[in-house]
Amino acid sequence: MSSLAILAGIFEGFRITALVTALGLLYAIPFALLFGIFQHFSKGPLRALVTSVIEFWRSSPVIVLLYAFYYSLPAFGIYLSAIAVGSMVLGLNIGGYGSQSVRAALQALDRGQSEAGLALGLSRFNVLRFIELPQAITAMIPTFINQAIQLIKGTALVSLITLTDMTFRAKEIAQLEYNPVGVYSGLLLAYFIVCYPVTIFGRRVEFAFGKSRQKINEF
Amino acid sequence: MNALRAIDPATDKGPATGRPAVEIRHLSKWFGDFQVLKDVNLTVRNGERIVICGPSGSGKSTLIRCINHLEAHQEGEVIVNGTELKAGMKNLPALRRDIGMVFQQFNLFPHLTVLENCTLALVRAKKMSKAEAKEIAMRNLEKVRIPEQAEKYPSQLSGGQQQRVAIARALCMSPKIMLFDEPTSALDPEMIKEVLDVMTALACEGMTMLCVTHEMGFAREVADRIIFMDQGEIVEEAPPQKFFGAPEAGRTRRFLDQILH
Repeated sequence: MSSLAILAGIFEGFRITALVTALGLLYAIPFALLFGIFQHFSKGPLRALVTSVIEFWRSSPVIVLLYAFYYSLPAFGIYLSAIAVGSMVLGLNIGGYGSQSVRAALQALDRGQSEAGLALGLSRFNVLRFIELPQAITAMIPTFINQAIQLIKGTALVSLITLTDMTFRAKEIAQLEYNPVGVYSGLLLAYFIVCYPVTIFGRRVEFAFGKSRQKINEF
Repeated sequence: MNALRAIDPATDKGPATGRPAVEIRHLSKWFGDFQVLKDVNLTVRNGERIVICGPSGSGKSTLIRCINHLEAHQEGEVIVNGTELKAGMKNLPALRRDIGMVFQQFNLFPHLTVLENCTLALVRAKKMSKAEAKEIAMRNLEKVRIPEQAEKYPSQLSGGQQQRVAIARALCMSPKIMLFDEPTSALDPEMIKEVLDVMTALACEGMTMLCVTHEMGFAREVADRIIFMDQGEIVEEAPPQKFFGAPEAGRTRRFLDQILH
């Protein structure tokens, strides 16, 4: 089997890798925003609750979470597809990290920003929506792109719960071909091919937002 | 004595016959164990211009921040435009729309243009159309003589220009009272005058103003009353002539000696 054929074989799993990534982001982004904001604004028992949810997803090994949810939930009568479990677990794990970037970005904002908004008679929610979040999200973009790449790489783990992603395909081919060196080098290359464009995209986005971020820094 | 003064505060009680603009009674406030305000009493009539000065840490900024409830007080009453401010009150945003505030650090929104800084609260809090809001914003930017910068971002302006935009932004809400918290302290010396000129013009229009400032020239020219605070208390309260000419308290005299070199 030629290197190109191996790579083509691996990319048969791209659809699953991309699907788990995309669904994972659908979990990660809302989770990061909501829990980051809640953690920033809540106090007392509510904050403890929010923090424990974040820590559960952030501090557990992803592989353990995958097994736990994939193999244990049916015992409780909950049957989810491997795709559903994989994207949820990976997404919420990355979302847990993301929530900390959101909170840090909100905390880093000058208090004068929200004070100026409140003094103008804006509601607390509108201050968050129109003054704090736009600035926080701009400051967060580099971290966010990083976490998206982490998510793509993390999808390799779903091969362990029967999904035929790129890693699963590579294992299949390796067993058929007895060529682990060729196959796993091909797999490395395959993930690079997928992740590198995201890095470039990230740089573009950063550059596009660079102007306004520079403004924030100067300010 | 003062050509700027449209009405003589000694004889004229101002245009409004109703309640005073600000009534502060027995106001006390603590930051932890530290008492920043000690039984402060102050009444400001409509149209009156008050300058508050005093050494740093004397509580003067905290006092005016209590007037729009950016700081919550623990004891006493703060009544603004006839409504008492209380923690957790529902209509606080609406009350704050009648109280403009200008900060030492300008606090312009860096991700918005000058025009958007001015229209944000008009559109989002007063629910105006964008066109209407823009018209009001441009009128106020003209008032602070900076309409040509409307499409720029705050970081592209000088400090003096930024502070004038901040004044215009506050004026857009058509406030009844304006609070100034050391508006010129963060400015380079050559930019102080342009901001003071705008404030003086505002005073001449009869705006009710409370200014925390060390600009004694401005105080002498514009203020109806000057208040000197030290260690959380109002030590002296007098019209400019008396305040500079014959201050009663020793602490006031020492303070004036230090800043009027």
